[in-house]
Amino acid sequence: MKITFEIITPEREVLKTEISQLTVPTSDGQITILPHHIPLVATLMPGEIVAKKNGEEILMAISGGFLEVLKNKIVILADTAERAEEIDEKRAEEARKRAQELKDKKSFDRVEFATLQVKIEKELARLRVARRHRGSRGVPNIGND
Amino acid sequence: MPSTQDIRRRIKSVQSTKKITKAMELVATSKMKKAIAAALATRPYANLSWATVLSLAANLQEDLHPLLKKVYKRDVKKIGLVVISSNRGLCGGYNAQLTNKVLSFLKDSKAKLDQDAELYLMGKKSQELVFKYGTTAVAEFEKLDIISDTQEIRPLSKMIVKDFMRKKYDKILVAYTDFVSTIKQVPRIKQLLPIKMEKKEEYLGIVGEDTRLGLDEKFVQEKQDKYLKTDKYQYGYKFEPNPRKVLNAMLPRLIEIQLYQALLESNASEQSARMIAMKNASDAASDMIYDLSLAYNKARQTSITREIAEISAGAMAQNDN
Repeated sequence: MKITFEIITPEREVLKTEISQLTVPTSDGQITILPHHIPLVATLMPGEIVAKKNGEEILMAISGGFLEVLKNKIVILADTAERAEEIDEKRAEEARKRAQELKDKKSFDRVEFATLQVKIEKELARLRVARRHRGSRGVPNIGND
Repeated sequence: MPSTQDIRRRIKSVQSTKKITKAMELVATSKMKKAIAAALATRPYANLSWATVLSLAANLQEDLHPLLKKVYKRDVKKIGLVVISSNRGLCGGYNAQLTNKVLSFLKDSKAKLDQDAELYLMGKKSQELVFKYGTTAVAEFEKLDIISDTQEIRPLSKMIVKDFMRKKYDKILVAYTDFVSTIKQVPRIKQLLPIKMEKKEEYLGIVGEDTRLGLDEKFVQEKQDKYLKTDKYQYGYKFEPNPRKVLNAMLPRLIEIQLYQALLESNASEQSARMIAMKNASDAASDMIYDLSLAYNKARQTSITREIAEISAGAMAQNDN
């Protein structure tokens, strides 16, 4: 049984493919969606998405957004999303460091602090995804078909 | 009959004007390509998020959020209108078209509600609506030349959501220029708030001609039949963590995206309009140079002929003596 999966950001369509299962970080915690899931709408947290397709894993980092599950169709409206192979690990690490330094250095009002916190989480997720991807190199690239 | 020197001077001035318009045309062309790509890239997201909210709205059993209700009890008394114009001129009828559209809308709504609608302005040229036509503006937002992120529209979207919730306005719309193609841009006014399923025309969700989704009631019905039903059973949505929290996060985001999309469409339209205007100007300059060169050559030939005639007449008069 296949699920039609679509992940889209304001800038582009990141991935549109058929998958067999999907793991996403919702605000209540990580969930895995299998075929025949009931319709669901959830808010997403910054973190990593794992989609399984023919036994291969597709890794992605997202920075928050929404998830809509329909009958064997999943749509993710992400704020930003990147496939593992697109992330430049070194730059992600630098970005995380900068965000962390900013957070440590200055005192902020609540909104600013929350924004920075989200940014750090997002960069961390990107890093994790990039590292996992590097760890499992040799797995063939799954095209955007 | 102007002298050859006058004509030559005019040709020179037209030539230098042509150089400027040509350069502006090239700049507008490259900006246009980027603007169009951005507008097209956001369309699927805007449409999908709109579709999600619409099908949620169709499935809601009770009112869970002040922005998304089955029926709005309050009468529409006061209207707010977001106007997105350009920062600069020299783009043909782009701003004039939008201004006309806004003015006729203001007239209609005044006749209907006996009260002036108020404007949120974005883009320097929209100030004309206030200075020249004396409309009321509640806020003016700076429009950046390069828009890369939805964050740039956030202050505006926060403000209109707040004004709507506080019942300052009972209806909020956006006036922008829809990008149909490089040679066709249509000024449009669409409803943002309340989020409601009405006539197809009223949607901001439908943008451009070649969208993937037709976002009307039929589409929502089809989506329901296809994805939310098994035989006789109809599924309701499950919300995580809970409906209120999800809608709280989703609806302001939706408004933001719709505004962002309107802004991108306007930008693509502006650059296309400017490119076409500058192209027309360059062509007109070429025509003018052609005509002037003809006139110049004729004048030159006339003066040469006249001089020869005068010389030969003089010589003949000499010979006669």
